[in-house]
Amino acid sequence: MPIPLTVLETRREARDDRGPGTPPTEDVREKVFELEAAGEWLVQRVPDPWIGVTTKYGRTKKIPVARTWHHKSCGQCGHIPGYSTSIFWLIRKLGLDYNDPRDQTSCTAWNYYASATSNQGAQAAVAMRNFGAAYESGYFPMIHCGTSYGHYKEVREELVHSAELRDEVRRICDKLGKPFVMPEEIVHYSEWVYAMRDEFAKRRVLDLSGIDVTVHPACHYHKLVVEDAIYDPDVYGGQRTAVVSAVVTTLGANVKDYSTWFDCCGFGFRHILVQRDFTRSFATLRKIEVMQEEANPDVVLTHDTGCVTTLDQSQFAARAHDRKVGVPVMSEAQFAALAMGAHPYRVAQLHWHNTEYRPLLEKMGIDWRERWREFEDDLARLKGDPKAFLTWEDADA
Amino acid sequence: MSVVLQARYDDVPIEDKARLFGQVQADPRFQTYLYGCYECGICVAACPSARFYDFSPRKIAQAASRQDLPMFYEQLNDDIWNCSQCFSCTRCPRGNNPGGLITIMREVAINNGLTSAKNALEGYGRVVYKIMSTGTQVSPDMLQPNAFPDWGPHVQEISDNLGLWRRALPPDTMHTTSTAWEVDDRTLTELYLIWHMTGVLDMIKSVDAGLHMILNDVMEELLEEAGFEAG
Amino acid sequence: MPDSAQPVLVIGGGPAGLEAARAVASIGGRALLVERRDVLGGTPDESSYAALTPRMGSAQEALDALRAGVEDPAIDVRRSTTLKACSGSVGDFRVTLSGPAGESTESVGAIIVATGFQHFDPGRETQMYGYYEHADVITLPDAEKMLKDHRFVRPSTGEPPRNVAFIQCVGSRDRRIGNEYCSKVCCGVASKEAIEIRRLLPDTKVYIFYIDMRMYGFWENEIYWPAQEQHNINYIRGIVTEIVAKDGRLLMKGEDTTMGRPLEVLMDVIVLSVGMEPSRGTRDVAGILGVAQNKYGFIALPGEPMDVVTTSVPGIFVAGAAAGPKDLEDTVGMAGAAALRAVGVVRGAAGAGAGGAGAMAAR
Repeated sequence: MPIPLTVLETRREARDDRGPGTPPTEDVREKVFELEAAGEWLVQRVPDPWIGVTTKYGRTKKIPVARTWHHKSCGQCGHIPGYSTSIFWLIRKLGLDYNDPRDQTSCTAWNYYASATSNQGAQAAVAMRNFGAAYESGYFPMIHCGTSYGHYKEVREELVHSAELRDEVRRICDKLGKPFVMPEEIVHYSEWVYAMRDEFAKRRVLDLSGIDVTVHPACHYHKLVVEDAIYDPDVYGGQRTAVVSAVVTTLGANVKDYSTWFDCCGFGFRHILVQRDFTRSFATLRKIEVMQEEANPDVVLTHDTGCVTTLDQSQFAARAHDRKVGVPVMSEAQFAALAMGAHPYRVAQLHWHNTEYRPLLEKMGIDWRERWREFEDDLARLKGDPKAFLTWEDADA
Repeated sequence: MSVVLQARYDDVPIEDKARLFGQVQADPRFQTYLYGCYECGICVAACPSARFYDFSPRKIAQAASRQDLPMFYEQLNDDIWNCSQCFSCTRCPRGNNPGGLITIMREVAINNGLTSAKNALEGYGRVVYKIMSTGTQVSPDMLQPNAFPDWGPHVQEISDNLGLWRRALPPDTMHTTSTAWEVDDRTLTELYLIWHMTGVLDMIKSVDAGLHMILNDVMEELLEEAGFEAG
Repeated sequence: MPDSAQPVLVIGGGPAGLEAARAVASIGGRALLVERRDVLGGTPDESSYAALTPRMGSAQEALDALRAGVEDPAIDVRRSTTLKACSGSVGDFRVTLSGPAGESTESVGAIIVATGFQHFDPGRETQMYGYYEHADVITLPDAEKMLKDHRFVRPSTGEPPRNVAFIQCVGSRDRRIGNEYCSKVCCGVASKEAIEIRRLLPDTKVYIFYIDMRMYGFWENEIYWPAQEQHNINYIRGIVTEIVAKDGRLLMKGEDTTMGRPLEVLMDVIVLSVGMEPSRGTRDVAGILGVAQNKYGFIALPGEPMDVVTTSVPGIFVAGAAAGPKDLEDTVGMAGAAALRAVGVVRGAAGAGAGGAGAMAAR
């Protein structure tokens, strides 16, 4: 009887014989440079040093290591602030230079996908205004939100293929006094985390070998303008995006599969705000319960704003209905930071999360009682001085 | 020949339905969002909304491909707001983007002030106000127990500690409560100018006149201060 | 020098090449047949085809007959040999061949490209069927190999499956992959394999998930109807978005479009009906010969539909799936036509001197 491993190994060996196929899509980045050559816009180059990663159709994408301009996410900063804080903490831990701008708006795509109270021109103008701001700062855009990332790729496609749209948006940027600039690559923070995963592993201080993780991939990362997402033949046979999963493995934790991996989380953009019965049902019945039954994970890791919010917050009401829920949810950035010794409250800010996460911390070897006591001391200090803030020095004290 | 299935909204003249369909077709994205439809259902297989609603991205693509105006109009009113906009349906072998088609249809529904669109956005006005006036869509102070009762007492705890917890964040752009992060005034001015120049404010007017008035007031002031002529 | 005794170079020893060489010899020409592998038979041999669609005749017997056809003094068969270079023009080509005895240069009057296709790699990143993740996700040729041994089992356990599904149009008719064309034979082959599975395992349920069943001509009554009427194969109109593992089995997610509902069912084996792509040989040889290819890499046929064998280069013809998805009927038909044209230009060139007349004849 053949054992499966042999079957799959034989297949994978045969695969190399076939050679890489021709990518079925044009490389939009070539068009971006052509438009620069034609004087249509500037192209902001990925700064050195960068790391080459492989995207869906085998092309190489440049991921900047440092000098990144952080296009923050409204949902992360607003409701899951440990998400953004952990991204910054990881960068600081590696001693890298970054820019956390105030001259940045949301991409406004959450609203657009929720209510359609906007249009193509406005969406492109918002994107190009932010890209212009990044260019002026001299730092390269790194996008924290999966939806911003997906939407900006849509905008790039539309701008590349429509002279009328370029004219409209260029006119607006001129009026705003912003340069008309397209970045060479559109980069999601989880791609940077993927690219830097070995650096994190080197700095890991916790043993994660007993931690089982289920991964939820963000739809707007890998389904919306698919060719920019990272794939790796060694992760899921190269047929699912490798971000997050590869990071988990590199950090020494265990990736567990489940049968609704490809499903969305149920966020729905408008549903999470005004029709949450759908969101709750989908998140718990199609995702969390399935993970529980099939993988019994210690934690769900994902790489986008809406997914963390949906999967985490939806579990409360489901508990009242005796559903099999109760899996903590966070971003892989928070998980990596914890693995590298980040404070669960000062940095990962887990008190903003809803579903019980303390058993996970215990399993990871984190004394959450002591850490919470420390954080309460911080809070007491801040309470006494309304002008005081927690600093990065405090965070690592 | 067009196959026309029985649809609701018999009382709406076919000319109106044709006019709205024409607006969808006129969107520059339409051509790359809908090529032709195999009616194979792969989009439904991948669709989260199809699992909880009587909703089918296949039927959206089919009706548009067949230019079935009554069916299109029914979907424009009864179906498009069920879509999750996750774009799982881009799995389509024909390269269609049913979710994108729905984005366009929603825009047309808003632009024409359809009652169904107004209903779908009921309770959503505060979000439009937040994103358009502050440049960040969700803010910490939106976490109010009455807004998220199903998220449990945890929301109350955040709300009670909001100011303090925000100050306990190391990144200094995030010590805010009414916006997700600190946005410069100049940045906001630029955003307002974008809303004006691209006609988005006019869109708001067609679905929520009150909201439009408030937004206009907020923006006018900042724009004038910055030396721009609003509108 | 053009010479009416110049051989016709036939590249590829599959059904198209074997039949072309036989046909060249049968009308008094000489053929030089080169084959990359050390055996003749091409893809039907390499992929272990069992029974041929539609009549279930033995593939082995059919290939033996084709192989016997090239046992002819007028046919010089070179195995383990590939084309390296080509110069000259119609009536007087110089080709460099590389074989077991090293490189050699030959003079040939015309060339027939019969380099065939390869099966689409269903593990490509555009697919979500987990071909490299799940042993029980297999392809049409994988199934064919088992059926040739008169068995059909779950590769993961060696046990017979209770439920088997075929997914059609994998790697065909897909703009996202870049293969917009129909591969023509997969509907018939899948149905044929489904029948074979039902014959072997009468208790096994077999489903075919499809976009359109394309059983043209007599394939309709010879395959499709019997599959439904005699073998109770279930045809479900709807295509599958992804395959994932669940409870040690395979969960596939599709829509039953005629019922209008999403569908999630557990299967023991899922067969991907992979389509055709130009083989590496076709792509390499087209490059060496300088013949035009279509956007998919198949050899282009400027004279279609009335001329299905003449390429963009005078004196060079094509037969079989090197020119696009073909069934065996089309393949051997093309081989005969290509042989006729090739021998024609060799003789024409010899009669008129090199160049012009041959090029005319080629058109």
